[in-house]
Amino acid sequence: MTVWLLKSSLLCLLNAAIALFLSPLCEGIMRKLRAAIHSRIGPPITQPYWDLLKLLGKEDLRSVGGIAYASLPGITLGSALLLATLIPLGTTAPLAFAGDMIVVIYVATMSSVLIMLGGFASASPYAFIGSSREMMMLLSVEPILAIALAVGAFKARTLAIAGIVNWQVRNGPSISMAIAGVAFFLALQAVAGKLPFDIAEADQEIMGGPFIEQSGPRLALARWAVWVKQFVLVFLLVAVFFPWPHLGIFLADLLLTIVKALIVFVLVSVIDVVNPRLRIDQAMGYYMRVAFSSLAALAFAVIGK
Amino acid sequence: MTPTEPVTVTRVKEAVAVRCNGALLSATLPHADTLHFTIEKRAMRTVVEGLVGELQARFLISVGTDKRPVTGDFAITHLFSLDREHLYVLLESPVPENDPKIESITEVVAGANWAEREFRDAIGVSPEGHPDPRRLLLADDWPEGVYPLRRDFPYNYRPPRAENGRPQMREPPSGASVVPMGPFFPVLEEPAYWRLFVEGENVVGCDTRLFYNHRGIEKLGDSVLTYNEVPFLAERICGICGFIHSTCYCQAVEKAAGMEAPRRARYIRTIMLELERIHSHLLWLGIAGHIIGFDTVLMQTWRIREPVMWLCEQISGNRKTYGMNTIGGLRRDLPNQIKPKLLEILAEVEKQATAVRDAVVGDTTLHARTKGVGELTNEWARKICVVGPPARASGVAIDARIDHAYAAYDEIPPQIATQEAGDTWARVLVRVAELLDSIRIVREAIAATPEGPICAEIPGEIPRDTIGVSVVEAPRGEAIHFVQTGGDNRPYRWRVRAPTYPNLQAMPVMVANAKIADVPITLGSLDPCFSCTERLETLDKQTGEIKVYSHAEILEMSRVTNGGGGAR
Repeated sequence: MTVWLLKSSLLCLLNAAIALFLSPLCEGIMRKLRAAIHSRIGPPITQPYWDLLKLLGKEDLRSVGGIAYASLPGITLGSALLLATLIPLGTTAPLAFAGDMIVVIYVATMSSVLIMLGGFASASPYAFIGSSREMMMLLSVEPILAIALAVGAFKARTLAIAGIVNWQVRNGPSISMAIAGVAFFLALQAVAGKLPFDIAEADQEIMGGPFIEQSGPRLALARWAVWVKQFVLVFLLVAVFFPWPHLGIFLADLLLTIVKALIVFVLVSVIDVVNPRLRIDQAMGYYMRVAFSSLAALAFAVIGK
Repeated sequence: MTPTEPVTVTRVKEAVAVRCNGALLSATLPHADTLHFTIEKRAMRTVVEGLVGELQARFLISVGTDKRPVTGDFAITHLFSLDREHLYVLLESPVPENDPKIESITEVVAGANWAEREFRDAIGVSPEGHPDPRRLLLADDWPEGVYPLRRDFPYNYRPPRAENGRPQMREPPSGASVVPMGPFFPVLEEPAYWRLFVEGENVVGCDTRLFYNHRGIEKLGDSVLTYNEVPFLAERICGICGFIHSTCYCQAVEKAAGMEAPRRARYIRTIMLELERIHSHLLWLGIAGHIIGFDTVLMQTWRIREPVMWLCEQISGNRKTYGMNTIGGLRRDLPNQIKPKLLEILAEVEKQATAVRDAVVGDTTLHARTKGVGELTNEWARKICVVGPPARASGVAIDARIDHAYAAYDEIPPQIATQEAGDTWARVLVRVAELLDSIRIVREAIAATPEGPICAEIPGEIPRDTIGVSVVEAPRGEAIHFVQTGGDNRPYRWRVRAPTYPNLQAMPVMVANAKIADVPITLGSLDPCFSCTERLETLDKQTGEIKVYSHAEILEMSRVTNGGGGAR
C-alpha cells in the first residue's frame, strides 16, 4: 500500500513537473511560429522561461488588498497542475480511477473560474469586464468539452479516461469520435485564450481583463497556469481522440504523442495568427453552433457509428 | 488653381447682404477663391443659417483673433467652404472688449461645437447659448481669465501653481457604470480620455476630455517665429502628415502675399504629399488590424511601408519631417536620378498592397468585426462636418484636392472613392482605394514633372493684414491653415485645423449603442491624430488613482522629478 502510494505520488509529481517545465517551451514554439507568419525573426523559443524568471524576480506590488486577489494566481496554477496529474502525458495518467473523466471536467472548469474570481477580486472595471467575458466564454466552451468527452464515455461505456483511450486504440477511428475530436479542438482555441477568442483578455480593449491588476510574481503564476492548462488539454485531445497509431512500444508511442501534440500546437498557433479577435456575442454564437454540431457526434455514437 | 465663377461670388454676396439686413460692414475678395465678409455680430447667426441652409456651405473652423492693438476689438471669424463652387466664405465679426460675447452657432452647425469653445478658451470671447460650455483646450488647472492667444499674453508665461485640477466630466446616466479609456490606453498612441458609460457590454453614452498635448504652436507662430521659420514648426505639428501642414501653411502665406509657387515645385509637393498618403494609409491599415487583434496585418503592412520611408529619406534626408517646404516653393529639389528607384519601389508597394487588399477584402472574420460597426450616417457626417475618408465612407463626396485644387491636382485630379454604408468596413475600403490611387498619382506626377525653378521670389514685403486660407487633403482628411499677415515679418494670426478635429466630434454618435469591444476600432477607424488636433500651450497634471499615494503627493513627486517647474 505504502509503495503504491509512494509510486503514484512520484508519478503525479513527475506529470506536474513535465507540464510545469515544458509548457513554456510550447508557448515559445508558438511565438516563434507567429513571428514567422508576421515576417519577423521573433524571440528565441526559450523566451517564455526568461519572461517567467524576470516576473518572478520582481517586487510583489499589490494594487488592492484581500486574500483572494493575492492568492488566486497561485491557486489557479495549482489547479492546472492538478489537471496535469489526471491526464495521460504520453503514458497513462498517474491519477487514474473510475469516473476520473468527471473530475477532469470539473478541474478544467475550476481554473477558468479561478481566473474569473481573481479578476473580480482585483477591483478594476477592466478586470470586471474581462471576468464577465471569461464567464460567458466558460459557459459556451465547457459544455463542448463535456459533450466531446461524453461521446467517448458513451462509446466505451466507461467514465474513466484510460478506459476511453483503450477503447479507442482497440476499435479505431469512428465518425462520432472524429466529430467530437474536432469540436474539442475548436473549444481548445478558446480555453487556451488564443485568437480569435482571447476576448476575456483583449489587450486592445480591456488591457488584459482579469490580469490587469496582476504583476510580477503573481502575473508569472497566472500566465504559467494558462500555459500549463493549454499544454495539458492538447495532450488530452491527442490521447483521447487521436491515439493511433498505437505501436505498443513505449518510446515510439511517446514520440508519436509528442509529434501529434506539436501538430496541434502549430494548428492552434496558425489559427491564432490569421484571425482578428471576435466580439463576445459573435464568439458565443460560434460556440453555440459548435455545441450543436457536437451533439451530432452524440447522435452518431447512439447509432453506433 | 480651380477657377471660381464670378457669378457665384455675386450670388453669395447678394445672399449674405440680404440675410445681414443692414448689418454688413464690408465684403472683400482677398483672393480669387476667398470671399471675406465683415458683419455686425448681431447678424452672425442669421447669416450662418443662410449659408448652411440655402447656399449649402460646409463649416470649416472658427478663428478668434485679438485685434485690439489694431481695431480695438476682438474678431471672431467663421470659415465656410462652398465645395462645388470652389469658394471659401469668411464671416468676420468684431466683438468689443467690454462685451466679449457672440451668439453661438453650434445649434445651427453642430460641427462648430469645439471651434467655439476653443476661441472662448484662447481669447476669451464667450459663445452665448453654447450647449456644452466646458473647457476644451486649456488644462483643468489653468487659471481663470488668462487667455493665451491674446496679444498681451507672453508666449513664455508661467502660470501659478495650481492644485487638484480635474476635468469636468459628465456623470453617467443612472444604471450605467463608467469604463475609462485613457488618458493612457494601449490603442491610443497619444493621451486622450474617453469615459464610456456602459451597461454590461453595451455603451449607452460617452464623454471625453482631450487636448492633453498642447504645445503652444499657434502662439509661437505669431510671437516668436518669422514667416519662413514657421514651416519647420508646422511640419512638426504631426509626425505622420508633417509635409501636409508645412505645404498648407506655405500655400496660405503664398495666397496672402499674392504669389504662386513654380510649377515644378507644385509637382514635387504633389509627389511628396501622395507619398505621405501612401505610407500613412499603410500605417493606418496596420494599426486598425492591431486594434482588433489582427497583428499579422500590422506586421505585413508596416513591412510594405518601410521602403516608402527609405525613399523619403533618400529624397529629403529624413524618413519624416522633410524640411523641404518654404514660402514660394521648395528648399530642396527632387533629383531626377531618383525617379527609376521611385518607380521601382512604387511597383513593389502596389503589388504587395494589392495582395493585402485582396486578403483583407475576402476575410469574413474581418467583416464580422467591421461591418455595421461605428456607423456614421450621411446626415450626421454632414451635421458634424466630418472630413476625409470618414466623410467619403458616409457618402459625402468631398476632397480638398478637387474642391479647392492646389499643388498639381488641377492637372492630375484624384479619383474620389466613396462608400454609402458609413461603417468601419466602408472606411477600410475607401482608404485602400485611395492608397492605390495615390500610387497612380505619384506615377503620373513623376512623368509630368516639368523642369524649371523650384522656388519663387517673394515680391518685396508681404503686405500687412491680408488673409490667406489654404486646405490640403491629408490622409485623415482636410487640413486647414488660415493666415492673417502681420507687420513684423510674421503672421498676425495663424490658425491650424487638423482633420481629426472635426472627425473626433463624431465619436459620441458613432459609439452610441455600440459594444465596448467595438469602441477601439471605431475610434481607430477615424485614424485619429491627437497631436495634430492639439496645439495650444497648456499644462497636464492628470494622474492616476493609486491608493498608496494621494493625488497631491504624486503631483509633488512629479514636480520634483521635473525639476520642480510649475510650467514646462
